[in-house]
Amino acid sequence: MLQVDALNVAYGGIKALNGASLEVQEGEFVAIVGPNGAGKTTLFKTLSGIVRAMSGTVTFEGKDLLAVNPAHRAHLGIAHVPEGRQVFSRLTVIENLEMGSYPDPSRETWASRLERIYTLFPVLAERQGQLAGTLSGGEQQMLAIGRGLASSPRLLLLDEPSMGLAPTVADSIFERIEEIHREDKVTILLVEQRVAEALESCDRGYVLETGRVVMEGTHDTLMADDRVKAAYLGM
Amino acid sequence: MWGDPRRTRRALVIICLVALVYVAVLYWVEGSYYHSMITLVGIWAAMGISWNILSGYGGMISFGHASFFGLGAYTVAILFIQLGITPWIGIPVATVVGVVAAVLIGIPTFRLRGHYFALAMLAYPLALLYIFEWAGYQEEALPKRDDASLAFVQFTDHRIYGLLALALLVIGLLVSLRIEQSRFGLSLLATKQNEPAAEAAGINTWAWKMRAIMVSGAIGSTVGGLYAVVLLVVTPNTVFGVLTSALALVVVLFGGVGTLWGPVIGAAILIPLSETLRAEYGAMLPGIDGVAYGAAIIFVILAAPDGIFWNVRDWLIKRGWYTRPGSEGIEPPAAGTSDAEKVEQLSSMRRAEPAPSGGATMLEVNGISKQFGGLRALDNVTLSVTEGQILGIIGPNGAGKTTLFNVMNGFMPPNGGEIRFLGESLVGKKPHQVCARGIGRTFQVVRAFPRMSILENVVVGAFAGSKDDDEARALAYDALVQVGLADMAGALASGLTNEQFRLMELGRAVASKPKMLMLDETLAGLGAIEIERLLDVVRRLRESGITIVIIEHTMQAMVRLADEFVVLDHGAVIASGRPDDVVKDPAVIEAYLGKKWMERAAG
Amino acid sequence: MSATQIFLENFLQALAVGIMVGGIYGLMCLGLSFIFGIMRVINFAQGDFMMLGMYAAFYLVTGFGVLSFMGPYVGPFAGAILAGPILFVFGFYLHKFLVSRVTGIRVVSAEAEGHYAQLILTLGIALILQNGALLLFKSQPVSIRTPLSIRAWELGPFMTDGMPVLFNQSRGIACILAIAVALGLFVFMRRARLGKSLRAAADNPEAAIYMGIDVDRAHRIAFGIGTAITAIAGGLVASTISFQPYVGIEFVVIMYAGVVLGGLGSTMGAFMGGMVIGLVQQMSTLFLPHQLQNTAIFAVFILIMMFRPQGLFGRTSERA
Repeated sequence: MLQVDALNVAYGGIKALNGASLEVQEGEFVAIVGPNGAGKTTLFKTLSGIVRAMSGTVTFEGKDLLAVNPAHRAHLGIAHVPEGRQVFSRLTVIENLEMGSYPDPSRETWASRLERIYTLFPVLAERQGQLAGTLSGGEQQMLAIGRGLASSPRLLLLDEPSMGLAPTVADSIFERIEEIHREDKVTILLVEQRVAEALESCDRGYVLETGRVVMEGTHDTLMADDRVKAAYLGM
Repeated sequence: MWGDPRRTRRALVIICLVALVYVAVLYWVEGSYYHSMITLVGIWAAMGISWNILSGYGGMISFGHASFFGLGAYTVAILFIQLGITPWIGIPVATVVGVVAAVLIGIPTFRLRGHYFALAMLAYPLALLYIFEWAGYQEEALPKRDDASLAFVQFTDHRIYGLLALALLVIGLLVSLRIEQSRFGLSLLATKQNEPAAEAAGINTWAWKMRAIMVSGAIGSTVGGLYAVVLLVVTPNTVFGVLTSALALVVVLFGGVGTLWGPVIGAAILIPLSETLRAEYGAMLPGIDGVAYGAAIIFVILAAPDGIFWNVRDWLIKRGWYTRPGSEGIEPPAAGTSDAEKVEQLSSMRRAEPAPSGGATMLEVNGISKQFGGLRALDNVTLSVTEGQILGIIGPNGAGKTTLFNVMNGFMPPNGGEIRFLGESLVGKKPHQVCARGIGRTFQVVRAFPRMSILENVVVGAFAGSKDDDEARALAYDALVQVGLADMAGALASGLTNEQFRLMELGRAVASKPKMLMLDETLAGLGAIEIERLLDVVRRLRESGITIVIIEHTMQAMVRLADEFVVLDHGAVIASGRPDDVVKDPAVIEAYLGKKWMERAAG
Repeated sequence: MSATQIFLENFLQALAVGIMVGGIYGLMCLGLSFIFGIMRVINFAQGDFMMLGMYAAFYLVTGFGVLSFMGPYVGPFAGAILAGPILFVFGFYLHKFLVSRVTGIRVVSAEAEGHYAQLILTLGIALILQNGALLLFKSQPVSIRTPLSIRAWELGPFMTDGMPVLFNQSRGIACILAIAVALGLFVFMRRARLGKSLRAAADNPEAAIYMGIDVDRAHRIAFGIGTAITAIAGGLVASTISFQPYVGIEFVVIMYAGVVLGGLGSTMGAFMGGMVIGLVQQMSTLFLPHQLQNTAIFAVFILIMMFRPQGLFGRTSERA
């Protein structure tokens, strides 16, 4: 479904991605882990078009993604749940969700999509009319994910959903993510700094370090590997 | 090349040439219409210089230089009309008025940034306009004094006015030149580029900004005073109006912002153009000159945002027809000269302190807390830095490392706690004061002056080390030697590799001969070999007697570099000690890799 | 009547005029807030958009005669409202060809450079508009004639021997229309999908792109709306004052004062800020000579920027 080949990206004055390559098959749950500064968020920003790639290719369902206007990529079925939530703080919860459905505003399916989101995250139904900026960190993360689901995406990109959240809250978020993958059959690409949480639920994983993929494996092989620890702690 | 006497000589020669051309044209053409035009070129070039000092060199875009212009004009007019005082005295008084106005405007307005500053500056002349109108100074006409025309600056030969304008212009150019060639100009440029970095390098940005606006105001109001004498009529609209402020801006924008010649070029091209337009078509098409100015502004900002001068110069340099004096190569300060001696003295002073083994405590951070609204960025952080060591501050993203640096540096006050450097408290000190105490710092985002040489980029950091410009140059050169860039001292700072940028930034921080250096993610984005070279430089700096505190993500490198680690997570210190031990600490592993990993590793 | 009573009368009258003027200033500031508050674009030409609105309304009513069949009562106001769509198109394409070159996501990384270029570019546009208008329309002050400008509703008198508080009809209707347009805009922004997407793009442009919102186009539309709204405000004012091509510059600082006072990013705040500025302007005539009424605004403006830069309704994160 998604194919990234030899991607080179410079961002913020440094070379963030150095020939990174990876792929995601339809229906898979793929995790990308790696220490800070490894280029994980830059990868997502390049996929979404906020950052321009210097060289390399990205193909989504056969299409050259990098040639598509950033504002149109969501219409292809890619939903990006950004790092740090990035909810529209001055819009209400329901308005945020509506914005999520911007690529696919059809009224008929909207009711059922909304219901599914509320089933996953009941607290959003409670706080429907509340301004998103007043929600707690965990609630905002749920809103961001709900917003991502609102367009019934083909591919869901999740950027560090646990960042800044208390461990128990982060845990419940991960459970929901697993559920989304299982029940709604959404293809997921997850980026996380917390290794174990990410690798728990994934089918396959990549370890990113200083802009390139240094390890690749399935859920089982990565969980046990000491080299993952080395990538983070230097020894 | 900054501080190079060849540059000063060349500029002086050109000033003389320009003056000669001006006088030649003035005396060659006939007709007071043309004489007035040339006079206006001189006046608006001088006004442009006034604007350029504050907004070009200083980067504080002002849309209200008409304030100074108008106040100067009215000072001369009122003194003449009401008190019969000759403009020969009135104009110097106007200069003083300009300085006072500059101080009064600067103090409140410098608290504002960017567009708010520009807006506030716009408001002042408008307010003055209303006030003067209300006060009844609708139209002030300077009385004709045929009896003592010389005493009252009135001449039948209009050329004399042209000469007066030229005199003012030359004074303005000399002031500009002095600013450019002294630390005044570089300090302003550094402030304009990146104020926090300038502060951290020891530059008292507020003081320099005030000086800039005072000089700018002085020149601006002097020009206004001369304008009153030339035109013999002062109305609120002509001297306080938007067109006046706009014109001061446009000539510099067009000619070249932040350069010596920009205002002259801009005025020389635009004034005759607009005057001609106004003369030819003004009756049929009133306002055509305003349209021309607007079009010129739009054209310049889209096509050549820095002004014609820079584009022409870049083009000439590319063609090899022009070289900056001093760019062929910089000679190190001649051995045996007083400058070189001073540098040697300073260096040896720093090296005199013995390298430590369990040496003196240099820096003590005690219980520092910092909150942003509800977020606890730093939670009771305590650490100490021993003389001569390399301390690494590490931790996952968002742990508060940069916040800690910013608090230590003086960019933000802590909510609680104490910081002592060599026994002296740092809390409440401004960044440039912290630098003066002997602490240098690098920043993550490195912004250089692309059109200047590496030495010029680095010398800004040396100002804190010496009051003398020449000595500062020597210090800067020495810093380049220390980081290994000495052979590139004259090269342009644009087109450097990442590694060279970092080294240059390091050079700037080292130039003031600090006792302690704070490095913020110096290794980010570098390849393995480059990291090695940089680590070498850092080690050599330590050997030369500088204590180092470094924030870094690249763990591989840090483990080999640092003597000691302090690990932050969620704003609190969770571990400290030798790198080997810290990295095995369960709390640290958990912070980086997560609880589940720990559980899995244990279970 | 005692001095206090006279003062009270003047006070009430100033209040009345202040409210009416405030309504229009509110609309004017609302227009600016679309451009400044949403896109953080400093637009020096905003006052000149207002001026264009005035002239558009003027020529629609008098020049083209198209509206003269609506009569002198409705005509001027219809002209003001119609100036909106015309200036929307103007603003839309102005953004597309000029303004977008110095704004937008690409420029965000340039930071201070981006703002500098915006300031200068819009200054250039302002100069061209002002002087271009001078060329086309000549410097003779004009105004839209309507019999309503000399009629007034009366309220009171509240005291014996006193005068009633006068509400100039032309101003009053203009104020009511201004509030109506503002309300219409609020509804559009809250209910319509396009309106919501504009708010989203303003709130967080990066996230908006993730949602598939074309932020560039959103900015273009917002710029067009901002231009149109300010132009309508101009058109409404056109029947109460006489204006000439340089009238815009006075209003620039008033508009910014209102928007900053109300708080950046808050359209409601901008409207309120405008109202407050209108009140300040009129109330200041109680203490200051008439010619200095704008100086009072400037003083308030500078004080706000120094002591409460987030305005009355803004959040502390929106500092100067």
